Amino acid sequence: MTMPVDSGALYDRLIVERARKPLFAGRLENPEKIGEGKNPLCGDKTRVELQLDQDHISLVRHHTRGCAICLAAADLMAERITGLNIAQAEGVGRQFSAMLVEKDGQPATSATAGTPALEQLEAFAPLRAHRARIRCAELPWVALKEALSHVDV
Amino acid sequence: MSAILEKGPVHQFDSAAIRQQFPILAQKVHDRPLVFLDSAASAQKPNAVIDCMADTMRTQYANIHRGLHWMSERTTEAYEGVRDQVAAFLNAPSREEIVFTRNSTEAINLVAYSFGALLKPGQAVVISEMEHHANLVPWQMLRDRAGIELRIAPITDEGDLDLDALQDILSDGQVALVAITHMSNVLGSVTPARQIADMAHAAGAQVLFDGSQFVVHRKTDVQALGADFYTFTGHKLYGPTGIGILWARKALLDAMPPFMGGGDMISTVTFERSTWAHVPHKFEAGTPAIIEAIGLGAAISWVEKVGMEAITAHEAALTSYALTRLADVPGLKVIGAPKDRGGVISFTMDDVHPHDIATLLDRNGVAVRAGHHCAEPLMRRLGLTATARASFGIYTVQEEIDVLADTLVRIRNFFV
Repeated sequence: MTMPVDSGALYDRLIVERARKPLFAGRLENPEKIGEGKNPLCGDKTRVELQLDQDHISLVRHHTRGCAICLAAADLMAERITGLNIAQAEGVGRQFSAMLVEKDGQPATSATAGTPALEQLEAFAPLRAHRARIRCAELPWVALKEALSHVDV
Repeated sequence: MSAILEKGPVHQFDSAAIRQQFPILAQKVHDRPLVFLDSAASAQKPNAVIDCMADTMRTQYANIHRGLHWMSERTTEAYEGVRDQVAAFLNAPSREEIVFTRNSTEAINLVAYSFGALLKPGQAVVISEMEHHANLVPWQMLRDRAGIELRIAPITDEGDLDLDALQDILSDGQVALVAITHMSNVLGSVTPARQIADMAHAAGAQVLFDGSQFVVHRKTDVQALGADFYTFTGHKLYGPTGIGILWARKALLDAMPPFMGGGDMISTVTFERSTWAHVPHKFEAGTPAIIEAIGLGAAISWVEKVGMEAITAHEAALTSYALTRLADVPGLKVIGAPKDRGGVISFTMDDVHPHDIATLLDRNGVAVRAGHHCAEPLMRRLGLTATARASFGIYTVQEEIDVLADTLVRIRNFFV
């Protein structure tokens, strides 16, 4: 029996599982908003489709071709923003980005008032030590931003 | 100076002695010994190169070709001495045919610009499907600027150049230049340069080989290859970054207009006009990478002392061992099966993304490259978006291949 590979805490079990069996992958029949993200360095691509109920995000699907980090980030993003209003989803996105660039030893970013917590998205915190991979986790959020860029709030 | 160099050429490869000369190999990554399998991207540097460059800056440095003082004269001698060394390294007929550039990319851009200026609309340049972007984008730029045609010679599914198809591409006599890699940075394929040169010449075309990968692993003889242009870069040859080489036949260099204008490349300058210096200086505008050129000279001396034959044999044995070990990793697929492979192996492993492979290998001390390897059209041809790539150098040892293969098995268990 070989010993398990050292993943440096980067590949949390949750990330590996969501990459393998995403819960929010697929396409919507009539998406109201669509955004795409592409990383020219590795060819990773994600397409995020949304259905809105007034200013609430009621349904999210993503179509992602990429690494485990990118796939899991898309899936966990979809889960986290479902049910939030647009301002809240954007707030979570800002907080997620801030978490990824935090220096080790610094206190965790305090959420601005009214922004929902990161919850499961905190699984991506160890990416801080792998700067080259931060873009993989941010790609779905880039796509989300594009999807929401034409929404009047 | 270590024992291995005092003994002169070694035919029995003493890996431990070689490794001791690369101080970086003693570094740890994530608390594990560094297993550096990314030499095809850039090789590590031996003490001989590090010391030579530092000594140059400490004891013998000034600008070249212009000073009337002792320091400038000595530095000019050292710099120009490297031109002789490179000429001998490539078996070039003349030192005047050696042009210093920043890297292979710049050397190819120089040819695309200056040789390209001699081409007429309707003439064609041929490259292959397995070119690095460095030997692709400059020709696209020339095509769009000068109205020449860019033709792409296909490769076989094994990753060899399709010579029959190349023959067809050459048949209308419009091809002015065939520019092909001498060894693929993705597939490791060594191309049959002599045969390509003969085919090109029979069709009235010149031939350029991008030797960035090849010169590191095998003896290069531009005359025996029948080449017209040959390029390589210093940093893959255990030398510093910022220094590369263009070799070209003197008649071609004489006919080509300068690439960049500035100091050092002129004969006379007035406000009305300038005349050009003789080759190779016509192509070396401005203060060059003096220290880096001298460092490249140290790298070539060092490689020649180890012996190119010994290096070739060592790397061939390693590559063959690696192919055997990797064949036992479940789900692993080696990309391409060229007839003649240098020390480069690209692979995929089931659905595990190459970037995840590279990150997890890195956590375990193993440095590989992952991505499209600056060869996006080749990736598309292979139906892939990315691969992981292990590449070997003079200091690579069998135990490192074992670490690679064992870690890959554990990575697969982690994901699948």
